[in-house]
This record gives sequence, C-alpha cells and structure tokens, in this order.
Amino acid sequence: MLRATGKRDRDIFDEVWPEKRKIVLKLLRQETVSQLEWQDLFFGVHFVCLWDEKGASKIYDGLQQDIVEFIVQAQSKVQAQRGEQALLATYIVEWRKFFTQSNYLPLPFRQLEQSPQVKPASSSSSTSSSTSAGGGASTSNAAASSSNQASLSSSSAKASTSAAASNAASTSVGAASNSASAAASSSKKSPTEDSPVRKLMLDSWNKHIFHDIKDRLQESAMKIVHAERNGDAYDAQLVVGVRESYVNLSSNAEDKLEIYREYFEKAYLKATADFYRLKSAEQQQENGVLAYMKYADAKLREEEVRAKRYLEPSSFNILTCRLVKVLIVDHLNSIIAECPALIRDYETDRLNLMFRLMDRVLDGEGVEAMMGDLQRHIKSAGLADMQSASEIITQDSEKYVERLLELFNKFSDLVRNAFNDDPRFLTARDIAFKMVVNDTSVFKMELPTSIANRGVKYTAPESKCPELLANYCDMLLRRTPLSKRLTSEQIDARLRDVLLVLKYVNNKDVFMRYHKVHLTRRLILGTSADSEKEEDIVEWLREVGMPADYVNRLARMFQDIKVSEDLNTQFRNSISRHDAINIKILNAGAWARCSERVSVSLPIELEDYIPDVEEFYKKKHSGRKLQWYHHMSNGTITFVNNFGRYDLDVTTFQMAVLFAWNQRQHDKISYENLRLATELPDPELRRTLWSLVAFPKIKKQILLMEPAAISSPKDFAENTMFYINQEFAIVKNGKSQRRGKLNLIGRLQLSTERSQQEDNQSIVQLRILRTQEAIIKIMKVRKRMNNAALQAELIDILKNMFLPSKKMIKEQLEWLIEHKYMRRDDDDINMFIYVA
Amino acid sequence: MKVTIKSWTGVASWRWIANDENCGICRMSFESTCPECALPGDDCPLVWGVCSHCFHMHCIVKWLNLQQLNKQCPMCRQSWKFNIH
Repeated sequence: MLRATGKRDRDIFDEVWPEKRKIVLKLLRQETVSQLEWQDLFFGVHFVCLWDEKGASKIYDGLQQDIVEFIVQAQSKVQAQRGEQALLATYIVEWRKFFTQSNYLPLPFRQLEQSPQVKPASSSSSTSSSTSAGGGASTSNAAASSSNQASLSSSSAKASTSAAASNAASTSVGAASNSASAAASSSKKSPTEDSPVRKLMLDSWNKHIFHDIKDRLQESAMKIVHAERNGDAYDAQLVVGVRESYVNLSSNAEDKLEIYREYFEKAYLKATADFYRLKSAEQQQENGVLAYMKYADAKLREEEVRAKRYLEPSSFNILTCRLVKVLIVDHLNSIIAECPALIRDYETDRLNLMFRLMDRVLDGEGVEAMMGDLQRHIKSAGLADMQSASEIITQDSEKYVERLLELFNKFSDLVRNAFNDDPRFLTARDIAFKMVVNDTSVFKMELPTSIANRGVKYTAPESKCPELLANYCDMLLRRTPLSKRLTSEQIDARLRDVLLVLKYVNNKDVFMRYHKVHLTRRLILGTSADSEKEEDIVEWLREVGMPADYVNRLARMFQDIKVSEDLNTQFRNSISRHDAINIKILNAGAWARCSERVSVSLPIELEDYIPDVEEFYKKKHSGRKLQWYHHMSNGTITFVNNFGRYDLDVTTFQMAVLFAWNQRQHDKISYENLRLATELPDPELRRTLWSLVAFPKIKKQILLMEPAAISSPKDFAENTMFYINQEFAIVKNGKSQRRGKLNLIGRLQLSTERSQQEDNQSIVQLRILRTQEAIIKIMKVRKRMNNAALQAELIDILKNMFLPSKKMIKEQLEWLIEHKYMRRDDDDINMFIYVA
Repeated sequence: MKVTIKSWTGVASWRWIANDENCGICRMSFESTCPECALPGDDCPLVWGVCSHCFHMHCIVKWLNLQQLNKQCPMCRQSWKFNIH
C-alpha cells in the first residue's frame, strides 16, 4: 500500500484499467469469463476507487466509451437488416444479449454507486430519463456534472468508509438475481436495478440504438400485427420481444412502463384504430349493419385476446376504449337505427348482440336510445293490441286482464331474452307498461267534473283498468262459472297476476273502492268461493304496499262477519224459533260507506223478529243500538204456484213487494198502491219493480205489468198496474221445471239511490281530503318548503293510493292558503310556510 | 200463489247510545274515534260514568291517569266511577 502513495493518481487508473477493460468487453460480448477474471475485475475497480481520487469517474467514463462502442456495433448489425422480420429478429437477439448483461456487468462496479462523483447521476435518474425524447442528451449532461463534482470532493476516504456500511446491507439483499425478465417484470428490486452502470447501459442503448430505429421497430411490429389481423400467420414472438425491450429499456424505477407507453402502446393503439376505421366502414357497406354488429362483436373479442398477447395489462382498458370508439361509437347511429325494427320483429338474438355492443359504450348513449325504442314499442304495440280488441275487453274484465297479462308476459320475455333482464330495460318496460295500463284512449272512467266545495273544477278522465281488475278479482273470489272451472292453484296464480298489473295502476284507490264493494257483496250474500283465499288476498294487498288503514279495514270486515256468526249462534240458542234468521252486524267505519237508512215495510214475519234481535243485541252490548240496512238484507223465499214450488233468493225490498200479493194473489196492484204498501222511496221501488218484471236472462218473469211495453223503470206511472205471473216457472233447456232455485238479487245494491256518478264523486272527494291531509302532514314537519320539493314528497306519500294531478295539487294548495293553513313566502312565491 | 220466507239475513250496523254528540275531552264525535285511533267501533269504545257522562274510553283513562288525587269526571267534578251496566 505504501508503494501506491508515491505514484500519481492517473497512473493507477492507466495501469489497472486496460487489463480490466478486456474483461468488460468479454462480458459485453457474452464471451466466457473465468472466475479469476471475474474476481480480478472486482478487485481492480475497488483498487482504482480506493487509490485514485477521481478513479470512480474515470472508470465510469471508460465504461461508457466501451458500452457505446459495443452498442454502435450492435446497431450496425441491426440496421443492416432489410426485411422487417429479420430486423426485428436481429434487434431482439441483440437486445436480449445486452439486457442480460445489464444485470451482470454492474456487479463489479458496485463501488461506483457509493462514489459521490457518479452518484448524482443516479439520484437524478428520474429527471434525466423522464425527458425521454432527449434522453441521450440529458444522460451525458448528468455524466458531465458528475465529473465536475469529482474535483470538489477532496475526502474520498471519508466517502468510502460510509459506503462500506451501506454496501454490506445491499449486498446481502440478493446475490441471486440473474434472470433478465424477472428483474424487469417483478416489482422486487434486484441489486443491480439502481446501479448507475446499469442505468448507463440502458440509457446508452436508448440513445444510440433505440432512438434511431424505434420508428422502424414499431412499424415492423405493427406490420406483423396488421398481417395477423388480415389472417396471415407470423411469428408473434417478434412482437412480444419488441414489447419486452420497450418495457425493460426504461431505467426509470418509478414508472417502468414509461417508454413502452410513450412509443409502443401509442403506436399499437393508432395502428389498431386505423385498421378498424377502414375495415368497419368497409364491412358495414358490404354486409349491412346487422352483419356488421356480428363483425364488431367478434373483432372486439379477438382484439381482447390479441391484447393479452402483445400488450401490458395496463393497456387493456385503453385499447378497449379505443376499439369501442372506432367499432361502435362511430357507427352508433346506423346501428341504433336498426333497433326499432328488431324489437318489432322480436329478434331477441340480434337485440342481445346490439345490447352487448351498446353496453360497452361508456356514456350509455346507445343503451339509452335502445331503451327509448323499447319503451315506444311497448307503448304503441300494447295500445294497438288493446284498441284492436277494445270491443270485447271493455265489457269483459276477464278478457281484459288476460289480454293485459299476455302483453306483459310478452314484453317481459323480450326484456329477458334480448336484454338479460338488465335493470335499465326492466325500468323502461315498467314505464311503458304503466302508460298502457293507465291509458284512457281505449276506455275511460269519467270522474265528475264539478264538485261545489273545495274548489275542484274538473278532473281528467282515467283508465278503467282498476275497476276491471277489481271485477276480475271478484269473478275469481266469488262462486262463478269461472272460479268453479279453475283449481285453487290456478286461482291463486291469477290473483297474483292481478296484483302484478295493479302495481302499474296509477289510481289504486279506484281498485280499492271496487274491491271493497265487491267484498262487501260477497260477505253479505255469503257468495265467497273460498273464505281462506279472501283473507289471503288481503295479506297480499298489504304486501304490495296498499295503505295500511285500507287493508286494516278489510281485515276488520272479516272480523265483523266472524263476530256476527258467533252472535247468531247465541241468538238462536236463546230463542228457539228463529233458526231461519241470520244477522250481520257491521262496524260502520270499516265497510263500504252505507247511505242513510231506507224505510221499508217488512213482511209481518220479519217485523216480529226485529225487536227480538234488537233486545238480544242490547243485552250483549250495552250502550249500543242497531241501525238496520235493509237495502243490504236479503233472504230466500219459497214461491208456490199452480205449476210448481221454487226457492227464490231475493232482496228484502223484493220480498216486501212480493208480499203485497200474499193476501190478494190475483189482483193487479197499481204502482201507487205498491208504494203505499211497501213504504219504499220512489227510486228504490222503481228499481225493485224493474228487477221483478225484467230480470235479465230469464224466460218467465215473476211479475207482469200493464201496459207491457214499458222499457225503463223511469217510465212507470202512478197507475201502471203490476200482477203476479201465474205461469211463472223456472225454465231450463227450454223446459219448465216444477222445482228449482233462482237468484233474483243480481248485483246487491249497496248504495241506495246513489248512482255510479255519485260513487265516483266520493272517490274524488276522498282524494281531495287525502291530498290536503298529506300536504298538511308534510308542512307540519318541514315548516318551510318550496313547491317542487313539496310536490315530490306529496306524490311519494300518495302514490300507493292515486297519482295526484298537478292541477289538483295546485287547487288544494290554494284552498289551504285561502283557509290560512299555510301561506306563501312574501319574497318567494314558490315557497310555502306552515301556519300553525 | 203463496210466498213464504225460508230464511233471512238482516244487515245492520250499530251506534253508540250517548247523551251527547261529541266526547267532552277530545271534542271528537262519538261516531268517530278518539284522536289516537284509526277505526271507530269496537277498537275505540265509549264508557259511561255513574254520573251518566260518557267519553271515549281512551280519553277518560288518559284523563284519570293525569289526576293526582281525586279521580273526578271532567264534566261535573263528581268522583269518577265506571258505570257497568
């Protein structure tokens, strides 16, 4: 060591390096290096760094020179190739060789890492290589600055001692990193990764060879991909090799894919887009849009597979986006234009294909357009279907509901098969179906136009759908030919169907009202086909979100009937002779609103029962009194004439009328006298008489009149005469029967002289109250609220009953303001304030 | 010709027999319910005191619970006793 102090620094480098350089060159050329030589190189580098102050930078410069020289040789080899494949192949071979060495060569030069003369270059690596276009220039700058610094640092000994400590740490990390690809692809840092020598190697390669021929490389690679797309087989490994070189070439540790992204990915994307831009137009022109969809779908998949081969995973999404743009978005309008026709023809496979293509478009524009088409189709097809069958379905609720369900199932199938039950399309179906169900062009229910109080001027016509649904329900639940024909399961399934359609009905309150009226009739007349089912459907109605107070009222009705049955048993036990009497006592609030009492003079037999019943009830429930609803009571009478003996189901009013003849069977009684005898109000008497002289669908009526040519109950005059038809008989299959049973009740009149119109009026009335109630409820909580928010919340509250029209909401708001429940803000006309 | 009754189903509803229209506590009609109930009838019954005053059961029970010492009829200040018929 003493001998070394006497020599000048320069000499040590000059003395040692030429020998070591040979080893370096051997390494670069991948020639065999003996163990001794390999160790000698370590020693030499260490020796120079230790004894020569500027040794590190000298070695670095020398190394750079050799590397550049080697690269220039390699470049000339590569450049000499004319053919694209040959060029790629040669480049890949050269690159792989060089890259493998870039993992070994830095090892002996570890010492340089610790040298402050070289270090700045490695610490500024991110800046020098990030400017990749001028990468070469900046590397040489860094090298220059490092040699400048070398002269400033005087104490190399100090540097090397601190180096020893950290050096020990880093060598222990991994002596076993030799695979080039592993070093490049794994995120784990290999010991050589940060080495300035490695960086020097890669940067030099970048500058001296890659920079010059990268365009040719890319071009060649893309030509191969292009050829492959056209169906020619090429060596895919060439493309893969080029891509690997792009990835591994990056010396930027933070973003390894920088060079790859900057050049290879960009070129690949551009080539792909260009290729398909041409092809897609060509395909569409030649084969039409429908075939093109198939083409686009196939190509998208094909390119996804290809991308997995040729691209880094980070590029997949970008590539797909670009492809979708070229293959789908650019052709969006022509593809979408086919949609209505496909929907019309139920071409589910093609629609499914179109849906899959459109679903790839990010902003959802295509899917939205398809949804619009679907919606329009369902609406127009549904309405057209309804209109073409309007003759039947407006009259026959069974046919109507079945038709509606058929349509619904058809559209649901379409959504399932073509759009995989995608929620967006299900919504579109629902919206459209709602329009069909609530449409008023086929048939409508006129709600009254004038109600004097509360400021309602008119209401829009509404669909008759809820009424027909309730009617259909009634047919299933009552003992009817329909319900007898079906099994219990079939009835259940149909009831479920009704609820399904009901979901789409805006004005559920109409359904509720009709359902309740029908239920009232069934319970009072005892005509339910299956009482269990009756209660089931109440629960189902609760499940589909019908308002709780409505459902509770229905449940209450069943309770009343049960309580009444118990009461009847007790009553019969207490007084033995009344076994033909049955009482149904209803809670006034729960049942369909009954009108005021109607007076009637009951047959003597019944008149006797009444006080007994009342007395019995009074004993059972003190503090209560009974109020009779004779318009709802009914019974069975035995009618005997010369011809036969018949059991007739009649209303109490009919009973009262027929009993007028009991004492004078052959008399003709005038209308006036009947009124006196029965004490029935005029409209009830007319209606009852009409049901006895002109009951629909029977051959022989029980009463006859004079004159016989009266065509409506309104035409009965005071002196119109009525008499018993002595020839009355039940006719079956053209033969008069001697015995038999006949129902003369028909539809039990629940309200008395109220007409349908007035019934509907009460629907509107109820809606008004509900709306007001809901507004007040909301305002009470919110205190202040603007118009739009109030309307939204209002509709939310009311939607399970009915859809309040804007006009009605406005009218009710005005009414509430007028009556000082709330007021408008002085400054903002759209702001409401609750007034306590 | 002869008509005889074989069976008959009478339909009726019932009302409270009260000496007033409205409940003296909540001022609601006896035919409807106390403010807390939804359905009139069995669920929201009336009760009578021996003083002959009548209230919604829910109303008078609430009232009596609020009285600390003397449970009195809110109408006539007599001591409240339920009139069980």
